Amino acid sequence: MRNLKWSVMLIGLLILSLVLAACTSTGGETTTSPEATTAVEGVAPVEEPGGEEPAEDMAEGERKIATFIWTQEFDSLSPFYTNMWFSQVTRQLWNVWAWDYDENLNIIPVLVTEMPTEENGGISADGRTLTFKLRDDIVWSDGTPITSEDFVFTFEMALDPANTVNSTYPYDQYESIDAPDPQTVVLTSAEPFAPWEATLWHSLLPAHVLRPVFEADGTLDNAEWNLAPTVGAGPYRFEEWESGSYARFVKNENWWGPEPNIDEIFFRFVPDDASQVAALQNGEGDLGTFISWSDFPTLESAGLDMRTVSSGFREGWFFFLGDEQIPGHPALQDVRVRQAIAQAFDREALIQDVLLGLTKPVETLWDDTPFVSPDIVPWQYNPEAANALLDEAGWVDSNGDGVRDKDGVELVLVHGSTTREIRQDTQAVAQQQLAEIGIGLELQSLDSTVFFASYGENGPTYTGEIDIQQWSDVTSFPDPDISYWLCSEIPTDEYPDGTNNFRICDEELDELFRLQATQTIPEERIATFHQISKLMHDQVYWFGVWDDPDGWAIGPRLQNVRLSGVTPFFAITEWDISE
Amino acid sequence: MSRYIIRRLLQAIPLLLIVSIILFALTMNLGDPLATMGGRRATRPADRERLTRQLGLDQPMYKQYLYWLIGNDWERIDLDGDGEAETQGTRQGVLRGDFGNSMMKRGQTAWEVIWERVPNTLLLMIPAEIIIITFALLIGIYSALRQYSAADHVITALSFIGYSTPIFFFALISIYLFSVNFKRWGLPSLPAVGMFDPQVGKTTGQVALHMILPVLTISFVSIAAYSRYIRSTMLEVMNQDYIRTARAKGLHGRYVIFVHALRNASLPIVTLIGLDLALLLGGALVTERIFAWPGMGRLFLDHMQRMDVPVIMGILMLLSLSVIVFQIITDLTYAVLDPRIRYE
Amino acid sequence: MSAVDSISPPVTLSPSADELAPPLTFRQMAWRRFRRHRMAMFGSITLILLFIYAFGGGMIYTAERANFTDTSQRLSPPSPEHPFGTDTVGRDVLARTIQGGRVSLMIGLTAAILEIIIGVLIGAAAGFFGGVTDSLLMRFTEAMLIIPALFLLIVMARLVGGNVYFIILILGLTSWMYVARIVRAEFLSLKENEFVLAARSIGTPTREIIFRHILPNSMAPIVVAATLAVATAILAEAYISFLGMGVQPPTATWGNMLDGSYNYIESAPWLWIFPGLLILLTVLSINFVGDGLRDALDPRSRNI
Repeated sequence: MRNLKWSVMLIGLLILSLVLAACTSTGGETTTSPEATTAVEGVAPVEEPGGEEPAEDMAEGERKIATFIWTQEFDSLSPFYTNMWFSQVTRQLWNVWAWDYDENLNIIPVLVTEMPTEENGGISADGRTLTFKLRDDIVWSDGTPITSEDFVFTFEMALDPANTVNSTYPYDQYESIDAPDPQTVVLTSAEPFAPWEATLWHSLLPAHVLRPVFEADGTLDNAEWNLAPTVGAGPYRFEEWESGSYARFVKNENWWGPEPNIDEIFFRFVPDDASQVAALQNGEGDLGTFISWSDFPTLESAGLDMRTVSSGFREGWFFFLGDEQIPGHPALQDVRVRQAIAQAFDREALIQDVLLGLTKPVETLWDDTPFVSPDIVPWQYNPEAANALLDEAGWVDSNGDGVRDKDGVELVLVHGSTTREIRQDTQAVAQQQLAEIGIGLELQSLDSTVFFASYGENGPTYTGEIDIQQWSDVTSFPDPDISYWLCSEIPTDEYPDGTNNFRICDEELDELFRLQATQTIPEERIATFHQISKLMHDQVYWFGVWDDPDGWAIGPRLQNVRLSGVTPFFAITEWDISE
Repeated sequence: MSRYIIRRLLQAIPLLLIVSIILFALTMNLGDPLATMGGRRATRPADRERLTRQLGLDQPMYKQYLYWLIGNDWERIDLDGDGEAETQGTRQGVLRGDFGNSMMKRGQTAWEVIWERVPNTLLLMIPAEIIIITFALLIGIYSALRQYSAADHVITALSFIGYSTPIFFFALISIYLFSVNFKRWGLPSLPAVGMFDPQVGKTTGQVALHMILPVLTISFVSIAAYSRYIRSTMLEVMNQDYIRTARAKGLHGRYVIFVHALRNASLPIVTLIGLDLALLLGGALVTERIFAWPGMGRLFLDHMQRMDVPVIMGILMLLSLSVIVFQIITDLTYAVLDPRIRYE
Repeated sequence: MSAVDSISPPVTLSPSADELAPPLTFRQMAWRRFRRHRMAMFGSITLILLFIYAFGGGMIYTAERANFTDTSQRLSPPSPEHPFGTDTVGRDVLARTIQGGRVSLMIGLTAAILEIIIGVLIGAAAGFFGGVTDSLLMRFTEAMLIIPALFLLIVMARLVGGNVYFIILILGLTSWMYVARIVRAEFLSLKENEFVLAARSIGTPTREIIFRHILPNSMAPIVVAATLAVATAILAEAYISFLGMGVQPPTATWGNMLDGSYNYIESAPWLWIFPGLLILLTVLSINFVGDGLRDALDPRSRNI
């Protein structure tokens, strides 16, 4: 231990070299494009010392295999035991819905011959009974015909208390189901249920496979089919799922629709976005999902087709108003203060800087649908108007500390969101901009399980500790229904599951929301929502920050790709691979 | 001796019980597993209420622990919410080998979920252990023999740096060097993601290739730490009188080292190996996350996100059990190596 | 007795006794041994520099500056304006490493102190009282030791969220076991010593025996353990922050800077190299110092 000059020098050299590496590095974009161009040639250039040219997928008699990169592995494939997006959207491949939605949200019947309407008798006059006519040529992947019995079985399994299904919605809205003949299904509800079109029959359970399982085990919870659904109905069928690594779906010989061009779809599970981007850049995948804004330019320069598909999600600020039980900040009770906030935040600039100009601000949760009112005037970034409104509302800076106050209460609001980077960035910007009009913003950045904790767990969104809550949410897209602002949904100790965390009870709004849920006639419902959206916008109960479409990356090998926000793979049979 | 083993095993039982209580109390308070069941949207209140009842989450904590431990098939439970317990429970409890059903991967029991991933972790850890023990011994002994030489100083410096480095930093550097920069410089690069390249398939060659960087990462820090320990142990032993006597008697240096010194140094070395093996299953947590290796560590992290208590408890109890078992094995190995130690 | 006996010098090995320096106290000898240990000196100097970097630099690069976002400058490489580059929101990485250093070092130190306090109390109680107390406490310690440390830490971190004080608490609560064991071993051996018997026979209260007599004599291993505890605490905080469960942004710590940087391993290496190096340097220096202290305070523990 005496003569240690060497060791010290060695350590110093190592550190120096690392520091130099950091300082002189300029990023890797330029050097990855050579890989990208070879990717265009069609064969995935996976680098290995063994020099194996990975053309295996082409060598096997030219089978066309498309590789989709999934950043989350399915937890289950059963329609009732998972609500993971990554599981649900695969169902257009192997267990189709009764009807799909195309890229313009038009309906395409798949299992039914036509959509029930009042004219064709599918919807009864009082709106309470729905009659579905099934096609007579539809079969499961093992050849067994799909009949009304499967529909009835699905309905019963969803509601049976022995099955711990994730959700019984919307089947719990109906009183009874009937199957007068193998091609007819009749549903009856106590009240007219308007959102039926967007929520019913999202994949069926094969009665001939699962009924014996249910009778033997008493429940479907542990059915093997949940994790290995060998029988399904779709252009593809399930082949294999290796936990932690991949899943494969191959062409279904018994599919009654157009034959798919691609022989096999290979889902590759990667741990996070960074690996997804790397895999896409290297040409190891043909499709990527939920690409974050900051990765768009990188992938575009690597030769991928970047698309944004709206699935109804909008990122916005929910204002906690409070009531007698849990009071909110006195400033937020005044609509002028909320309107001032709406005009003090420069959404355009934020979107340009942080979201690279790839999306746009929104005004309501129903933007770009027929349900949004045409009379809405978007909020402009106007700090002077904001200042004027605040002065008018009586909030002035009486003690010179830079923050407005009134009656001894400082206008300091708590802004909370999850730890997602983009939200933290937004919070930081909001803090600076609101400070310019004299509103102090305390920021809270919480882990999502903490942030979204329930009323029963004293979740911060319920207790009033967060005045402005930011997250991305959606209606029952494509259905406009949402229950957040119903007075009856305000959580109490007797009803802890209420969804109205913000404790907003606006009589007029409440009546409108309750009305629309019963209006099965489209024109009437649209008119009601025009009123709803205008009211919500003027009252600033919800302040839209940006439209949150999903970012898809389509690799250069894939052709004819059309994506829908509801059923992304609705046209999967048209997709093709070219080299 | 067998009485000793039985006694140790019996002593282990209350220990495991205490451990399970501590862990259960912690994991039950992690959060609401139902919150994530809604997918992209929040779980509906009606569903939440129903699922709480069906999954037994509405029971008081001690009852949930009881059901976890000994099951509920000796009792009737209320599944449909009408206040009357009418359905026979189906769980058998941990003491009978039933760790419950995974709340995240419906359709598999917790045990199945865990056991799917255990081989993958072992695939990393066993080669890593072999490498760690081999190299730590080699480097430690070499360093001890060549005390104060230039090589010794270099090794010492590297060891200090090695075990002061957080594993993830070393992993990032190795990825940066062997994966990214090798590619830039046109050298064959090592893969840094996953267990195999799905387009090539799960061949032995693929898996071996993907194993290189993770195993390297796991080994490096441990080799650094253990080689120092072995070095100091060897030096301590080599300065003993009996070694000097052996040398004085004219015995060859290497013979002395390997027969006498190592034998006596083996006890501390075995302690080390014993402790390390115990951490075999859990040791790769951070590495698995960085390299996307589908092992038990990643399983733990993924299921923690979803608060899947049965699987989390299963993993933790498995790890605790392995620690206890290896402690007992280590103690027994002591007795074999050192005839002075006698257990009654 | 003559006056000569009472003023006789303690060492009389040579005629010119009055020219001999007075004997060194334990502390002075320890300090000398420490000084000779080159690596320890290097470590101490580096630590002092790091403290100046973090706390002194913190006065120039304040928290506001570290959290100031300038999204037009996001992910820019090191430049004269931003010597360490900027992160994904345009925050200056240099400022963040400084502020992050403050937080990480503070967490490490405080957690280590907490750990030592808990460990000493439990170890002393177990070692001194023996019997049932010892048995119970050691069972408990063993139980805690059996649960793999990182897993326990993750579960507890998930439980308490990202509050800095809670992080310190759980870091302390999950690593006291090693200290407790060392303290217990020391107490077990020291309590049979004569000075303890002497103290007991004159009726010294137990508390005094533990804290005034035994504890000071077992300081050597405790001090070494304490030093190394700081290193493990800093590393542990880095690990859980890297996994996303430690202190949350915008507050910077070296660990959570590495969490955010994982996505940019190739395109922005300055994001992870600088915080990583700083962690490495800090832990390395502490380990050097710990090694030196072990040499200095208890040279019998290692005869190399």
